[in-house]
Amino acid sequence: MSRTATALNYGYYPGCSLHASAREYDQSTRGLFGALGIGLSEVPDWLCCGATPAHNVDRLLSLALSAKNLTLAEKVEGDLAVACAACFSRLKTTQHELKDDAEKRSQVGRAIDGPVPLAKKVKHLLEILDSDFGLERLQQAVKRPLSGLKVACYYGCLLTRPPGVPQLDDAEAPTIMERVIEAAGAQTVAWSHRLECCGAGFTLSRPEVILKLTGDILAAAKEAGADCLMVACPLCQGNLDLRQQEVEKASGTRYGLPALYLTQLLGLAVGVPASQLGLDGLLVSPQGLLREKGLL
Amino acid sequence: MARIGVFVCHCGENISRTVDVEQVAAAAAKLPGVAFATDYKYMCSDPGQSLLKKAVAEHDLDGIVVAACSPRMHEKTFRNAAKVAGLNPYLCEMANIREHCSWVHEDRAEATAKARDIVQMMVARVKKANKLADITVPVTKRALVIGGGIAGIQSALDIADAGHQVVLVEREPSLGGHMAMLSETFPTLDCSQCIMTPKMVDVANHPNITLYTYAEVENVEGYIGNFQVTVRKKARSVDEDKCTGCGVCSAKCPQKKIPNAFDRDLGMRSAIYTPFPQAVPNTPVLDRENCTWFKSGKCGVCKKVCGPGAVDYEQQDELIVEPIGAIVVATGFKLYDIGRKPEDSSYKGYGEYGYGTIPDVIDGLTFERLASASGPTGGAIRRPSDGKEPKEVVFIQCVGSRAREKGISYCSKICCMYTAKHTMLYKHKVHDGQAYVFFMDARTPGKNYDEFWRRAVEEEEAAYIRGMVSRLYRKGEKIVVVGSDVLTGSQVEIEADLVVLATAVQARDGADSLAQKLGISYDKYNFYSEAHAKLKPVECATAGIYLAGACQGPKDIPETVAQASAAAAKVMTLLSKQQLEREPLVARVRESNCTACFACKKVCPYGAVEAKEIRDRQGKVVRVVAHVNPGVCGGCGTCQATCPSKTVELDGYTDEQIIAMIESL
Repeated sequence: MSRTATALNYGYYPGCSLHASAREYDQSTRGLFGALGIGLSEVPDWLCCGATPAHNVDRLLSLALSAKNLTLAEKVEGDLAVACAACFSRLKTTQHELKDDAEKRSQVGRAIDGPVPLAKKVKHLLEILDSDFGLERLQQAVKRPLSGLKVACYYGCLLTRPPGVPQLDDAEAPTIMERVIEAAGAQTVAWSHRLECCGAGFTLSRPEVILKLTGDILAAAKEAGADCLMVACPLCQGNLDLRQQEVEKASGTRYGLPALYLTQLLGLAVGVPASQLGLDGLLVSPQGLLREKGLL
Repeated sequence: MARIGVFVCHCGENISRTVDVEQVAAAAAKLPGVAFATDYKYMCSDPGQSLLKKAVAEHDLDGIVVAACSPRMHEKTFRNAAKVAGLNPYLCEMANIREHCSWVHEDRAEATAKARDIVQMMVARVKKANKLADITVPVTKRALVIGGGIAGIQSALDIADAGHQVVLVEREPSLGGHMAMLSETFPTLDCSQCIMTPKMVDVANHPNITLYTYAEVENVEGYIGNFQVTVRKKARSVDEDKCTGCGVCSAKCPQKKIPNAFDRDLGMRSAIYTPFPQAVPNTPVLDRENCTWFKSGKCGVCKKVCGPGAVDYEQQDELIVEPIGAIVVATGFKLYDIGRKPEDSSYKGYGEYGYGTIPDVIDGLTFERLASASGPTGGAIRRPSDGKEPKEVVFIQCVGSRAREKGISYCSKICCMYTAKHTMLYKHKVHDGQAYVFFMDARTPGKNYDEFWRRAVEEEEAAYIRGMVSRLYRKGEKIVVVGSDVLTGSQVEIEADLVVLATAVQARDGADSLAQKLGISYDKYNFYSEAHAKLKPVECATAGIYLAGACQGPKDIPETVAQASAAAAKVMTLLSKQQLEREPLVARVRESNCTACFACKKVCPYGAVEAKEIRDRQGKVVRVVAHVNPGVCGGCGTCQATCPSKTVELDGYTDEQIIAMIESL
């Protein structure tokens, strides 16, 4: 892709998951963006955002962690690209809560030893692909259309909610994931559990809750005729993929639904070599399915 | 030297809580030209008014300032008292130290100083006031009723029965409004059509009522007693005088697949149609948008089969000007649309309920059509998607209503009762079915209302679940309803065959533009505003215009009918007068100075300025000057401010008075 005046460059906040359990999300994000000619500069010295555990324990701490990350993000050019739905939610919530609350802002400022910069635009990868890069250009960049692949887009609970905070798309009836993956030639299925919670917060403390919540999601996707799930959150992916075997055992139903990151599917479509997409990092292997559809 | 009396009111504690009324009276007493000043707890009460009258006699007062509430509240009261005491009423003015002072300030010292200033200015104004005489205007003894639902019908019949002429304008092709669409009505379960259609016929047959259906109010000019209303009678393409209502045109029309809005799009109609069999008038209307003749110039079947030759493709809209004395606005409501809302709308819609994309999620009015004997299913409860009889029906209340985050904070008032009714109608028709209701509160005040609701719960076995529904989604042929039961603290999932949403009552589309034509005010939800929430519930602040029914706020049928009769009574009072007295606070042109530039005419919002020819004894025109018609003038003063030669004066607000007010400070 030629470098033009409209070359896109972003700061990049991967978050802890993408450096650990969701390395394949990081790898495929870099692979996809590289292929599309979108620059990513990782925020230096970033911290964990604390995700759900932090704000459950101490709201001020949670705000301070993201505020510190926003301060660090000032050191890189461009809007801030975020892949993880939880990190995205925390950064957006922090901006939202501090924007009109001078008292809270000064509290957080004391905690991080400096004023909180709130001007940085925080964007989820989906938003960058859908609006900044644009669906038309994405369509043109596709080398291997995902035709014949029936994808159940799974948003989870954080990506679009609460209303008015992430402002990624309609909070209760979004279509941004469908728009993006359809641009790559995939077929999406209409299904019921796109926005249900997978129970990620309970994955260690009460795994039996996950068996029910994640089980319902897998069952709904299967019933809708999906070949695979597409996700934009490492925690959702963890539950749907890692726990799938346990869910199958508990319910006595075999689902065999790979849960791929949007960047893995799109990466394949724009011709990123499979070896750079971390496909072998998934427990429910997508290899068979992708080979069957002629994508590998 | 003037002899002005100043009366400072405590208004209970409304004023005296913030303003030192005694100090205000003491300061007023020292003003030049003030002969008497005092304070009193309630100036508007009978002893208060007596105090004023006594003071006029004892102190030989020639002007009065009452420092109290807004003149909109009690100016008339005190001017009448002044008149009884023998003063010209226009020598009595009010200094508004309540709305303009005590209610909006907290600091006592500052509020007191401001009150003193306000009183001082009004004293200066009264000193320069002129004695004025009331203006009389004739009354056109005809009423206009806008809207032909139950509210408009009731008002029109009451006024017409009293012997006055009524013009009734209805936007749709038939009278009836929403009530004609209902199945049975709470709390007695009598058939809506059975009690409604005879009244529709009464309107059509009443010798005192001129009925325009398929018509809209185009323009309104004039003022109380003397409105000129232009009605646009839309082209029906059928000559009402020739049509016999035989129905052959509709039967033969080849275009039969048009969703019928009267049946909430569940049934189909032809392009030339009457919306329902009991329509009044029973004259079809041709829907030109869907007519093959109008789209392609081919067909013409209806014209060919019409025996009396009533079908007329050339018919044009007709504009009719009606002289009117009083207006009743009864334009009704619409239901909150559960579909996706435009981006800029402040109403958020219900993405979690699928934005109207699940066919078996319907609203209450659609359920009424399903339950109605004259509806698209003949009264059998069948779900829209596949026509099957639903065995599990979930009703959800407060959809849109009482949901600030969705854009509406008010209660729609009728839904608790009609949902209870729906569960009964359902149980009566589907004996082995189960109705569930998700509700926040059951609000059932009204005669026999709570008993009705209890009957739904206790005898008809509707399962009421206190809590809201967070999501609806399809699962095979079922709709999964995910909700909470706050009384047991548990989550509930019901697999329903049909879901009925009790959506919010909203003002009709276009309510705001009609209000602007009429010059009446409306709230942020576009419901029309009454003049006083408690004491003037059917009057508009604009004289001569009255409100009936749900255009003023959500209302059920009994309440609508009561308000409609009340509005009719107000109209009858007005039309019983030979002429009306108007306040003489109107603009006047000093003809000797007028240069006839007509700048005043250009800015007058009432069209009150006309050219007047001044002739000599031989009848030759020597000059042309501006003249203000006192009957039409609204007293806004725009002409006075505009006139380059200071030739127009507004009585009661002359330049001299206003300058004196400013200089007094």
